[in-house]
Amino acid sequence: MKVSRIALLLAAAAVLEFLVGGSRYRALLPVDWFLLATATVARSGNFVRAVLTGAAAGFAEDAVSQQLLGMNAFAKAILGYALTIVAVRMVFGGALAVGAALAVASLANEAIVALLGALLLQSPIVVLTSDAVWRAVATGIAGAALEAAWAFPWREWWKRRRLRRLR
Amino acid sequence: MRTHNPHAEIAAVNPRRGGIVLGTVLIGCVLILSAQARARRGGTVLQSWILTASSPLAAAVSSVSQGVSGAVRTVEETFTARTENERLRRELAARDRELFLLRAEARQKGEEARLEREGAALPAVIGAVPIVLVERRAGVYSALLGVGSADGVAPGTPLAVPAGIVGRVVAVGQGVSRAQLLLDASAAAGARITRTGELGVVRGDGRGAMTLNNIATTSSVAAGDLVESAGIDGIYPRGVPIGIVESVSRGSKMFLQIRVTPSADFARLTDVLLLEPSPAARENPEVGKGAAR
Repeated sequence: MKVSRIALLLAAAAVLEFLVGGSRYRALLPVDWFLLATATVARSGNFVRAVLTGAAAGFAEDAVSQQLLGMNAFAKAILGYALTIVAVRMVFGGALAVGAALAVASLANEAIVALLGALLLQSPIVVLTSDAVWRAVATGIAGAALEAAWAFPWREWWKRRRLRRLR
Repeated sequence: MRTHNPHAEIAAVNPRRGGIVLGTVLIGCVLILSAQARARRGGTVLQSWILTASSPLAAAVSSVSQGVSGAVRTVEETFTARTENERLRRELAARDRELFLLRAEARQKGEEARLEREGAALPAVIGAVPIVLVERRAGVYSALLGVGSADGVAPGTPLAVPAGIVGRVVAVGQGVSRAQLLLDASAAAGARITRTGELGVVRGDGRGAMTLNNIATTSSVAAGDLVESAGIDGIYPRGVPIGIVESVSRGSKMFLQIRVTPSADFARLTDVLLLEPSPAARENPEVGKGAAR
């Protein structure tokens, strides 16, 4: 994936994060857009870009939400690498598998950040809350929907539709 | 994940290089985290710079977000009144983008005015400010506010809504600042049980509720008691509601285990009131920055 596309992807993730996070309906759609951006880059199979995208996305997230810069960057860099391995090595495929992988990645992100917070800030370790689970579910559903939309043969569908109309 | 991705096949030959980059990035993250952990007492200049740099984006996206929120609210209203529904739809269709944004801004001002009116009972209200972003992750509850040092906001400034205390400002940029909400697993506030007058410490549990600590087992505290700020922590003013006692359990220790339901509706925060920082926080900004951790 080209660098310009990655930058565009990260900008879109930041805009979506602010749009949803700034509204009063944030609890209904707590999708981790930065994780989706990282996973999209990881899907192309380039380890270096996936790791760097994860780190950049994590830094952006840390800048607005965390007391220490680098916690989400650390987590998302690891997840970028792990998701790339999943993308190039795993045999399974399809929207459901992508959704499940993203949900697990979201929970892993949560756990890594909680662990770093406990180590560096002596915060209590808080994982597997209802918020975290709902965020994982929402991220998984959003990722699965994107994967399904990506894999759908739009061109053939459009051709068939036109042919039906002509008849 | 899909295996027939042509890009994947090409790039998969080089996982070692990815591993080296991952290692470098992780070491970099650890170094940055370590540097901040050491420098926390000295202030968070780096975060302040980043917040300042991000303020134009935050302001722009915030205005769009407010616009979208305003539109959604309008659609909600259309469901409540059939006649108004038709009128509002015609109006919405006729409006152009500029008018749309202006209306959202006016709505925001009205919301702020309402908040200030209802918060008149709170001590030393400075003004109402919009919330740009709320983040809840791994026990961290933080909010990004649409005001910064240019508007006179300082670290340690308490935040509240008419129903009760919400949190405090912890990092300030020029146009944006970051606040720690009281539900954060590391947040704490000096508290008093209104009925009995006993003092304790309210802590967020990182899961959407709070606990009241340091109340002796001899206390007569009961479910339904109001918990308010005690003004003993050097951050929050005295007498502002924090929450209602939800349950009291008697453990084997010296203190009761008390769960508190927050008075403020944290799930639907869109605007908050800034309260005057306490004299302790004004004289020593470190009080506001690091009190809870």
